[in-house]
Amino acid sequence: MKGNGVTGNANPLRRVGALFDGARDWWERAKTWQRFVVYIGALVFALILPAPWIGTFMSPGADWTTVLIYPIGTYMLLAIGLNVVVGQAGLLDLGFVAFFAIGGYTLAYFATEHGWSYWPTVVFGIFLAAVSGVILGAPTLRLRGDYLAIVTLGFGEIIRITANNTDEIGGARGIPNIPHPTDMPAIGLDFGVLPAPYYYLMVAAIVVVIVFSVRLQKSRVGRAWAAIREDEDAAELMGVPTFKFKLLAFAIGAMIGGLAGGIYAGKAVFIEPGTFPFILSATILAAVVLGGAGNLPGVMLGAFVIAWLPERFREVEWLKEALGKDPAEYRILLFGGVLVLMMALRPEGLLPSRRRKAELHEGTGGMGAMGAEVAGPDTDVSTEAAK
Amino acid sequence: MLLELKDIHVHYGKIAAIKGISLQVEDGEIVSLIGANGAGKTTTLKTISGLRPLTSGQVLFNGQDISKMPGHKRVVAGIGQSPEGRGVFPGMTVQENLLMGAFTRKDALDADLAEVYELFPRLAERKSQFGGTMSGGEQQMIAIGRALMTKPKVLLLDEPSMGLAPMLIAQIFEIIKEINKRGTTVLLVEQNAQQALKLSHRAYVLETGRVVKSAPGPELLDDPQVRAAYLGGH
Repeated sequence: MKGNGVTGNANPLRRVGALFDGARDWWERAKTWQRFVVYIGALVFALILPAPWIGTFMSPGADWTTVLIYPIGTYMLLAIGLNVVVGQAGLLDLGFVAFFAIGGYTLAYFATEHGWSYWPTVVFGIFLAAVSGVILGAPTLRLRGDYLAIVTLGFGEIIRITANNTDEIGGARGIPNIPHPTDMPAIGLDFGVLPAPYYYLMVAAIVVVIVFSVRLQKSRVGRAWAAIREDEDAAELMGVPTFKFKLLAFAIGAMIGGLAGGIYAGKAVFIEPGTFPFILSATILAAVVLGGAGNLPGVMLGAFVIAWLPERFREVEWLKEALGKDPAEYRILLFGGVLVLMMALRPEGLLPSRRRKAELHEGTGGMGAMGAEVAGPDTDVSTEAAK
Repeated sequence: MLLELKDIHVHYGKIAAIKGISLQVEDGEIVSLIGANGAGKTTTLKTISGLRPLTSGQVLFNGQDISKMPGHKRVVAGIGQSPEGRGVFPGMTVQENLLMGAFTRKDALDADLAEVYELFPRLAERKSQFGGTMSGGEQQMIAIGRALMTKPKVLLLDEPSMGLAPMLIAQIFEIIKEINKRGTTVLLVEQNAQQALKLSHRAYVLETGRVVKSAPGPELLDDPQVRAAYLGGH
């Protein structure tokens, strides 16, 4: 089913795809010590990633460490959060940026107006994001599929427009002078103008969130989410309180979004409503789907590709010559083209889990409500009549 | 009385799917609901298991009114269902599917798991295969086995013979009989009226949301009206 419409093994993307699949199969059989070697390797890789010799290729035009923090690291954090909602519980959320905004604005407002210190405020932002996730979820999670997507989309816009129209939190002008994170002299991190400490903070946050997410996925909660994603009615018939677990997925996804908002705002110093547009929700969703929803390494790879490609396209020499002017203006077009190509050649995502493949194979779309079924007063009657 | 419906009405939006059905299931029975498309058989089962809300009427289980109880709690109370279209989790292996049935249970599962594998040896051969890649008959076995893992007092089966080859249908009905013999009450929805009636202690004939006839299964097999409408007889 992969590589539909492309013939033969000559297709390089298919070969790369087979390589990915091989790596995943090896990983599933790998022993504990082998896995730990990979974990440590990945961590070491993450720590040396900002090195200038890598940066000259990856980001010739802009400061590589800064690019690693935003967009790459931030997108990864957001994608891991959205993956809980979309990839694990199978709920389509088109307004995820709202929780990012709530985390960012909580820090910005309470730290500048009330002088709260950084970390407690970030934690409070995570809490507020979770609460707003529950408030959004409680009335809307009874909806399915497209309906849920539309309501969450609306929620994302409501948060942004509310921020835009509330003078107390800066209105359209936003909030400047957001404090940096508290320095950590014990481990030599001084959060000033240099980007490196923020990068290490971002890596630490991503590691924590990955551990949290993996633990959840392997727990009873993760099983309940998988059941809901694959067949919500059947899950209820197994005794899974589907509504509660969907709400939990929303809250946990929102918490991760809130954390990302706090870290971002502490680095950026300034936020405004325009920092949190709908297109960011869509971009993060694209990262999750492109990478392979439900599979963490895939989702992170997807976030990396989505964040890095448009930046890299700014500085491609032959494009400069071919287009005769600044390729930066065409980068989103090129980016869109690459996305279309990738999804045409590998619809299940770059690094899907085996399970996700089985779900897709079954034809439900494997994304729970994202598949095809849209329950409503009318459709129910027609499907019912067919039985 | 294990399960009783008292004059239930169910609506999809404004359209009434069930217009006052009453029925009883005694402990240890096999009871069938038969009827044509759109008669309300599946809706009746979904209402019993809590997937569909009641407009009016009552669902009694073990003498207790469960009309407002959410579906996941009815599972704990003892209502197990194999849903229409089987509802197998495609991305879970056979074993994981069966274990999902035990989601709410905290007691030992080994004996029950062994019993399901004994009833369906085919599943024992394919424990680690993904549910989504199994054949229709095998998926039906998973769905029934999974419902058994909830340790139901009453097992609701929604068209277990749908889309299966005749050989497999006979096999599935044999197994339903066996499950009943071992002490589980069965409420069966079937379009395959012939087979269902042979097996059932009692049966109800549904037409457009109402019960039009109820009698012991074998009696309905000989009923001229039922023969003409559902058994292709003359």
